[in-house]
Formats: sequence, C-alpha cells, structure tokens
Amino acid sequence: MGKIVSIHSFRGGTGKSNTTANLASQVAMTGKRVGVVDTDIQSPGIHVLFGLDETSMGKTLNDFLYGKCEIAEVAYPVGDYAAAAKESAPGRAQLAGKDLFLIPSSIRGREISRVLREGYDVGRLNEGFQTLIQNINLDYLFIDTHPGLNEETLLSIAISDILLLILRPDNQDFQGTAVTVDIARSLDVSNLLLMVNKAVPNKYTYENLKTQIETAYKAPLTGILPLSFDMADNASKDIFSLRYPDHDWSKELRKVAQAVMDTN
Amino acid sequence: MSQEFIRLKNSFLFKGLPDAVLEALVQKVIRRTFYEGEALMRRGEDGDALYIIDQGSVKIVTVDKEGGELVLNHCGPGEAIGEMSLFDKEPRSAGVIALEETHALELKQDAFFELLNQRPDLALNFIRSFSARLRFSSTYIQKAIEWSKKIAEGDYSFMEQFHTGQTGQFKADTDDDKAGQLLSAFFNMVKGVRAREENLKLQVETLTLQIDEVRRRQEFEELTSTDFYAALKEKAQAIRQQRSDKK
Repeated sequence: MGKIVSIHSFRGGTGKSNTTANLASQVAMTGKRVGVVDTDIQSPGIHVLFGLDETSMGKTLNDFLYGKCEIAEVAYPVGDYAAAAKESAPGRAQLAGKDLFLIPSSIRGREISRVLREGYDVGRLNEGFQTLIQNINLDYLFIDTHPGLNEETLLSIAISDILLLILRPDNQDFQGTAVTVDIARSLDVSNLLLMVNKAVPNKYTYENLKTQIETAYKAPLTGILPLSFDMADNASKDIFSLRYPDHDWSKELRKVAQAVMDTN
Repeated sequence: MSQEFIRLKNSFLFKGLPDAVLEALVQKVIRRTFYEGEALMRRGEDGDALYIIDQGSVKIVTVDKEGGELVLNHCGPGEAIGEMSLFDKEPRSAGVIALEETHALELKQDAFFELLNQRPDLALNFIRSFSARLRFSSTYIQKAIEWSKKIAEGDYSFMEQFHTGQTGQFKADTDDDKAGQLLSAFFNMVKGVRAREENLKLQVETLTLQIDEVRRRQEFEELTSTDFYAALKEKAQAIRQQRSDKK
C-alpha cells in the first residue's frame, strides 16, 4: 500500500510547492511510482514546475471533485512528456521515463471561485486519493496543501502517513508550526517530519537550530535549506534539485527526500 | 649644563646634535610661560616660531563643522610644536592652548636661519631627522592600508601579532611620536569594529524559538472543539483502519 505524504506549512511563502515538486521528483528518480496532488485549490502553482500551463491542461482535480470525471483521468504522466523540455527545463527532462503523475488543480478563475464559494466534499477528495494509490499503483502520493488549517487541509493531515511541516526560521512560523504539530498529534499522524526553508546562510548555528526545533516539537528536523538567489532566479520553471544537484539547497533537499523514504 | 640645554638635547627634534651646536641653539631660544587657557598659537595666524615644551601640557585644537572645538592631540614635555613653520611661513593649521601653566622654549625662524648659516651640520641633522620621520610615516601608512584591506575582509589576525610584539617597530604605546598615536587610534578603532561584529554575530546565533504556550493551547482548543473536527477525527481513524486492513 502506497504512502500518503502531506507537505504543509502554517503560513504561505515557505516554498511549499517548490519543495513538494522537488521531493516528488527526487523520489521518482529512485524508481518509485509517485503521484503529486495539488490541493492548494485556492492558489494552485505546482503545475508550472512540471511544465503544465492553461493550454496543455485538460481536466483537473476540480472536475473530479464536482463529479465530472474519474480521478485517474486527471493524472498527467510527467515522465511521458518531460524529455520534450530538454532545453528550457533540463532538470525536469531527467524525469523522462520515470513514473511521476501530477494531479493539477484548475487555474481557471471561474473554477477557483466555485471552490471558494461552494467548497467541496472532502470525503470525495479522500476517496480520490485512495483510488489513485490503488489504480496507478503508487508507492508515494505527495499532497501539496493550502497553507493554514482549514477543513480541507485538516483532512489531508488526518489521512497522511507522513506529514512534512515546512517552516522558516522566524517566530511567527515557530508559533504556527507548534499548533499544527499539536493538531497532527491529536489526529494520530504517525510520522511527523520537519524541514526549515529559506534559512539565511551563515546566520544560524545549524546544531543550535536543530536542537531547539526538535526539543520544541519532538519531531526530527530533516533538513535546513538555505535562502537562495539562484532558487529565486529559477522562477519556478524547472525542478531545481535536478538541474543544480550540487547546490546547497539541493543537497539538503535530498536529505529530506531520504528521510521520507526511510520512514516506515 | 642649563635646563634649556638638557631639554633640547632630549627633544625628538634636536637629539643627536653635537653639544657645541646645542649650546649655540640655547642662545637663540627664549623661555616663555603660558597660563592655563592661554594660546601659544592660533589657527590661521602666520607661523614664525616653534615651541619645545619644557614643563606643563597643551592641547592642539581645530574647529569642527558646527564651529565647536575639536581636540586633535595633547602634547607634553619634550615635544615640539610648529616645527614646520621654521621652514615655511604657512598659516597655522591648528591652534595650541595651554592646559595648565606651561613653560616652553620658543625658537623664532629668523634666529634659526641665522644659526643654520653658521652651522651647516645643523641643517644636515634636520634633513636626516625629517627624512627619518617621513620614512617612518610612510611605513605606517603602508601598514595601515594593508590592515584596512584585512579588516574589510574580516581578518583580524594582525591584531594578535601586534599584541605579541611581532610587528617589530610598531609600538603604539609610545606617546612621543604622532605616528604611534595614529596607530593607537587605528587599533582602538579595529577593536571597536571587531567587538561590534562579534556582538552582532552573537545576536543572530542565539536566535531563540519563542512559542507563546497560552496562545498555542487556545488556538488548538478553538480548532478541535468543532463538530467538524470530531467527525474528521473519527473518519480518519476509520480510513486508517480500512487501509491497514488492506495491507
């Protein structure tokens, strides 16, 4: 049975979608069958990293949620078309032939506003996850969540086998992450992992930060990823850790990916 | 030997002169007394004499941008003031004011030139003295440039060398040369910069996780007290059970 890995952060801007795309890619590179669901329906974004735009995007998660299609119909095989982008996205091109499937969220304004207005059946979302894992025979299903703790996000947290919380080294994130950790424990999430992103290089003592975070949340800190101009320059166009494998950000990200795969 | 003779012999400017020349010099100097707050020279005045302080102390002052007094230096016994004016007649670049009752030996330019005509060896001695000071200053400037570059790179290792005396002739604790004082000020500046930097480093390194536990509990209770949450928790348990049955 495949594992559900939810990637979450209490506040926006932590680099959650980018991290999710990179983690899923790294795991897929090891030969695992991986799915990525963009449940950040209010502000979707991960599709860009996998080379999808409005014209190439057909049916989406929104169609499934409103009963217009089956979930398997909206799973895009990233590995089938990754090679085409060899020049514009050499990182992503390495995913050619890999078993990586993206379930995007609609970027059409009308469909986003419907979700905001009417909400959706979280039960159906869960059914979709389970069906995906079975039908595509996934080893891992990564869920890119919406920041904060709304009902949809709580559902994703509740059904995860692994919950990865991303925080930046500032007190607002520390506080919000504390509440999220408490909720995850209350919902019996068995594996809680932490990751720091956007850490200003040389500003913190690695060990000090690790000790403080692990003591406060009683969960392992799997990586401290640096704030990087190179990353900003990538402008969400490519899978950074595949394109620049020797970059410090990529090295730390691989540690997080390894921690996810090491979790039983 | 007169008191004036001893003072001149021990002064930086005239040391090393043959006794006969010093004797001739003593004849040309005038002993003068200045009271506390009295000016030995004023900024902008034509300079036509040098002073060698015998007893007491003076401050060398100029004016800052706001017109206030800016003290450049303090001088005491044995030190010469206004020696450049023996050779040129430029206006004084700074004022000199007695800090207490001060006795100084005044040597007028005319008297000095008269003596130079009689004793060419005095001129040679002066040239040697000025040349040595120039060389000394140049070395300091060169070192200061070198050190400034290191400071810019955050390398303070030369400070340790300095304290253990490995920089040889550079001793900042000698009050009697101006280059030494400059060096001393330079090193104090570096110490200040370094201390500030260390302090800043300490501040960022000890970034502490601050969690408001009361707020944390409140927010948790708000989120978990809803019917939705209770239903979700139940549902999650059922899903988990279902999934583990399938394994």
